Amino acid sequence: MRWRGVLAGLIAVVAACSPAAALDRASVAARACGGASGMTDAANAMVASLPDASVEDARWVATFSNAAIERTLRCGAGAPTIAAPEGARDAASLRPGAPADGSPPLLSLKNRPLFETVRAAATLLAGPTAAERAGALTALERRAGSLPPELFERAAEAETDPALKERVLGVGQAALLNSPDMAKRLAAIQRIAATPDRRALTQIAALKGDPAYGEDPAFRAAVDAAVGSIERWLAVSNALNVFYNGLSFASILFMASAGLAIIFGLMGVINLAQGEFIMIGAYVAYAVQEAMRAAAPGLLDWYLIAAIPVVFLVTAGVGIAVEATIVRRLYTRPLMTLLATWAVSLLIVNLVRVAIGTQNLQFVTPSYISGGRLVTGDFIVTWNRLFAIVFAAVTLALTWFVLKKTPLGLNIRAVTQNRAMAGCVGIATRRVDMMAFGFGSGLAGLAGLALCPIYSVNPQMGSNFIVDSFMVVVLGGVGTLAGTVIAALGVGQINVLIEPLYGAVAAKVIVLLMIIAFLQWRPEGLYAVKGRRK
Amino acid sequence: MTVAVLVEGLTVEFGRFRAIDDLSLAIDYGEVRAVIGPNGAGKTTLLDVISGVSRARTGRVLFDERLELTRTSEAAIARAGVRRKFQKPSVFEALTVRDNVEIGAGGARDAAARDRIAATLETVGLAAEADRLAGELAHGQKQWLEIAMVVVSEPKVLMLDEPVAGLTDEETERTAALVRRLRTPGRAIVVVEHDMDFVETIADRVTVLHEGRTLFEGSMARARADARVVDVYLGR
Amino acid sequence: MSAAKRSLLARALDDRIFVAVTSAVATVLLAAAAWPGLSDYRANIVGQLACFALLAVALDLIWGYAGILSLGHGLFFAIGGYVAGMHLLEHSVAVTGITPDIVQFMGWKALPGWWGPLESFPVALAAALGVAFVVAFLFGWVSFRSRVGGVYFAIITQALTYVAMLLMFRNDTGFGGNNGMTGFQAIFGVPFQSPGVARGLAVASLASLVAALVGCRLLTIGRFGRLLVATRDDEVRLRSLGYETLRLKLAVWCVSAVLAAVAGLLYAPQVGIINPRVLSPDLSIEIAVWCAIGGRGRLAGAVIGAALVNALKFSLSATLPDLWPFVLAGLVILVALIFPNGLLDIGRWRPTLLSRAGALQPRDATP
Repeated sequence: MRWRGVLAGLIAVVAACSPAAALDRASVAARACGGASGMTDAANAMVASLPDASVEDARWVATFSNAAIERTLRCGAGAPTIAAPEGARDAASLRPGAPADGSPPLLSLKNRPLFETVRAAATLLAGPTAAERAGALTALERRAGSLPPELFERAAEAETDPALKERVLGVGQAALLNSPDMAKRLAAIQRIAATPDRRALTQIAALKGDPAYGEDPAFRAAVDAAVGSIERWLAVSNALNVFYNGLSFASILFMASAGLAIIFGLMGVINLAQGEFIMIGAYVAYAVQEAMRAAAPGLLDWYLIAAIPVVFLVTAGVGIAVEATIVRRLYTRPLMTLLATWAVSLLIVNLVRVAIGTQNLQFVTPSYISGGRLVTGDFIVTWNRLFAIVFAAVTLALTWFVLKKTPLGLNIRAVTQNRAMAGCVGIATRRVDMMAFGFGSGLAGLAGLALCPIYSVNPQMGSNFIVDSFMVVVLGGVGTLAGTVIAALGVGQINVLIEPLYGAVAAKVIVLLMIIAFLQWRPEGLYAVKGRRK
Repeated sequence: MTVAVLVEGLTVEFGRFRAIDDLSLAIDYGEVRAVIGPNGAGKTTLLDVISGVSRARTGRVLFDERLELTRTSEAAIARAGVRRKFQKPSVFEALTVRDNVEIGAGGARDAAARDRIAATLETVGLAAEADRLAGELAHGQKQWLEIAMVVVSEPKVLMLDEPVAGLTDEETERTAALVRRLRTPGRAIVVVEHDMDFVETIADRVTVLHEGRTLFEGSMARARADARVVDVYLGR
Repeated sequence: MSAAKRSLLARALDDRIFVAVTSAVATVLLAAAAWPGLSDYRANIVGQLACFALLAVALDLIWGYAGILSLGHGLFFAIGGYVAGMHLLEHSVAVTGITPDIVQFMGWKALPGWWGPLESFPVALAAALGVAFVVAFLFGWVSFRSRVGGVYFAIITQALTYVAMLLMFRNDTGFGGNNGMTGFQAIFGVPFQSPGVARGLAVASLASLVAALVGCRLLTIGRFGRLLVATRDDEVRLRSLGYETLRLKLAVWCVSAVLAAVAGLLYAPQVGIINPRVLSPDLSIEIAVWCAIGGRGRLAGAVIGAALVNALKFSLSATLPDLWPFVLAGLVILVALIFPNGLLDIGRWRPTLLSRAGALQPRDATP
């Protein structure tokens, strides 16, 4: 808050001095040696000069203000000098050979930020490297309002780095908000409102404390309109964020539960080890990453893609093994299958725990899924979540294709509808069971692969998804892919929607209550295939 | 005389499939009505709706011209006196034959009930098996046990879904005799069956269903002569 | 004809394994009550085993007889346990005047005012049974009314206890969060360390187990029990014989829940702590595992399974904790594949059946 007073003073001086006179270096240097108030004057004079200063002068301002901050400026009996290991230089001309006497002037708490601002502003104009200029801009961002807007216009004109130029313009607009010229202020408000994010809101909302807000109705209207518009866009982008996170969660839920639903529809069995198949999928992806790190480090970035077939085949293989050794022997006893598959999950979790450990696995984030793209307001489409969504969409398409267009899918649908009849017409129902179990397990493995760039991977991770997957199966019913998709979207979205309002636990409670309520209305789930009693 | 079961404008759908399509039907007390037709004609679905297992989309089913069955629970329908033997023999396999019949009798334990249970077991020829577990019975015996379970309550409407499926000729004859004995003036009996000789033996009238609609109603002899019935079902 | 006329008591004695197991439990009860050489440590273990056995009996009543598998009985167990915890904390404060730890870590000034009445044991007992009953009734009513059963019911009950666990892990829920309740000082006015407390609790647990066994046996061999079995075998058939199966299932479900709450009520004082871990889905599944290993639908099997598995768990957890999950998983798979009716089947098992164990398998009575 100490800033406000300083800035107000500075703005007043800037306003009084502009258009700035050419810089009188000697006078500035002398004033800087004239105690605290002299230093303030010196800083203000430098700032005022900067928009029109030559590159030479800007460099000098940078050097001089830096000397004041770093305590190499010497104020003595003669002209001020700047001390350096190779010998003192004259502070105004920077010529060497000056006598180095005197002591550094005291930079008060009030003046230090002023000089830092001066140094950063000068560096922004005359800094030799883009990195230095970017650093200076960062330092200026929060203080942009205290600087003459023309300074940023000039810096932007001179800037060669396009990304940095964009940033300079942005900061410049913030500076324009405090321009003495009302037309420029109004224009700046509109331009800032055009990129509605949280910072823009803070910037513009702060103007409600400006004297002009009370005095000038046009200004007031512009500020109110801008705040309203930014808030609307923020609400939209917030909703988009929630929707986007929900969509990515739903994508993983879908992959985790599609297999469950297919197997449940086919065999009347819920595989309690499905969560562990997800975990196996993530661990296999990790193994592929490590193998590629060792064998082909140059291609390491592509491990996530290379792992897709490996993950599917390995988890499908584990699924087929579980089906062949355990599940098929229990096909008339679905409740016992629950317990047996739970035992399998216990076995898998503890095997992994003993063999590999309980710590989270460290995944390399491939370049193509790191970062994201700002769409509007705060809404950033992050590539890792987009990867999960696209991956699930492709999986959905492939699953649909397998179920509708391949002989296996036809057999699965036939056995799901009437096992005895399918057996009578020569379908090897046990073989269909096995393949379907493998397919469903493979889908769970793919879910594990898709979630490893987003969630942490450890032996217990399966339990985080399994209950939600059950809810998806209960809600979606069995026998149709559409039910699973809609239920996954619903459960995923509701979870993410409620979470920020009431917390993750409340989200789970509400999802469960909603499902129980839903079952009152449709006990067989969304898309039950009804029929007469067999 | 009141109609035992009156079906009016009944439609039942399973998803997009229309199992029963605007069906109307009246079954009188004292008659044995056979409902026949090809697979998928809606015969079992009709029994499902009358017994409350399946729900109708539109239309109504009146029992004894007073009770609207489409809005009554299965248990209440059964208690009102409408009982049904399922297509697949449905007996409680972990209980004894006697327990099964006792449950059918509604659990009454008085002397009259005990006599009725004993008499019913005698009627279906299972008196000697009374203390065996129902799960140990042969297929035909299970069929009779289930009939015993439904008739012991002396129902006003008795529905038998394929009572002779999988039975030997001799067992079929015994079942036919049993059905004739169960026929009383105060009781309507509905039989769904594919065995035409059996139907001819027991039925007073037949209703031929086809694709959820009535194709023919009348005596079995006339059904055999009806060209449409021959076409869709009986064959030449 | 004679079977029908014999008295209920006479028929209760028909099942030799049941009689043997019940007599064995009763013998242990007498020993726990009268044998001077019993150490507190052993008494405590016996008492805990009895609680688990009671919990298993509760589950067997609904799974073994009515064919309803609950994978959420930990919920009712926890209700009993938490009410016991609240009672013991209130009672400890009343007897010793010491402020329990839960007050500090929850950031309270004192125990919540509404816990006050639970200081009285009869109120606590009524509360535990009442809450378990109400929760079971509501959940059972909505589930059975919409004909949710079989695997659906099992996974919804699992989700129910999972959600309850997440709730109880939160401090805001107001029951001690992650730490739960511990630091019980006194029970019925006697300090916990006094000689005889462990023994007394063991005797109470064993007595409850015997009472539950006899009560459930009488319940299941009567008409009610036959209707339960009929529900399990073919619910639609039973409904179309004029029975409201909703009422039947609801009744046995509530009885089972209340028994589980009694087990929890007895369990909390014996382990000296109650926390959300009793609500973990794994514990609830383990209860079903005990029944499956011992043998379902015989009551005795539940006792055998619970006692055996937990005795094994206690001994292995002390010596080879890493091995226990593997042993448990192996046991479950072994029982599922080879002894479909649990250990009670061992007598009937022949090695030739190994290759096709399906031959003797009963079907789950679920659609």
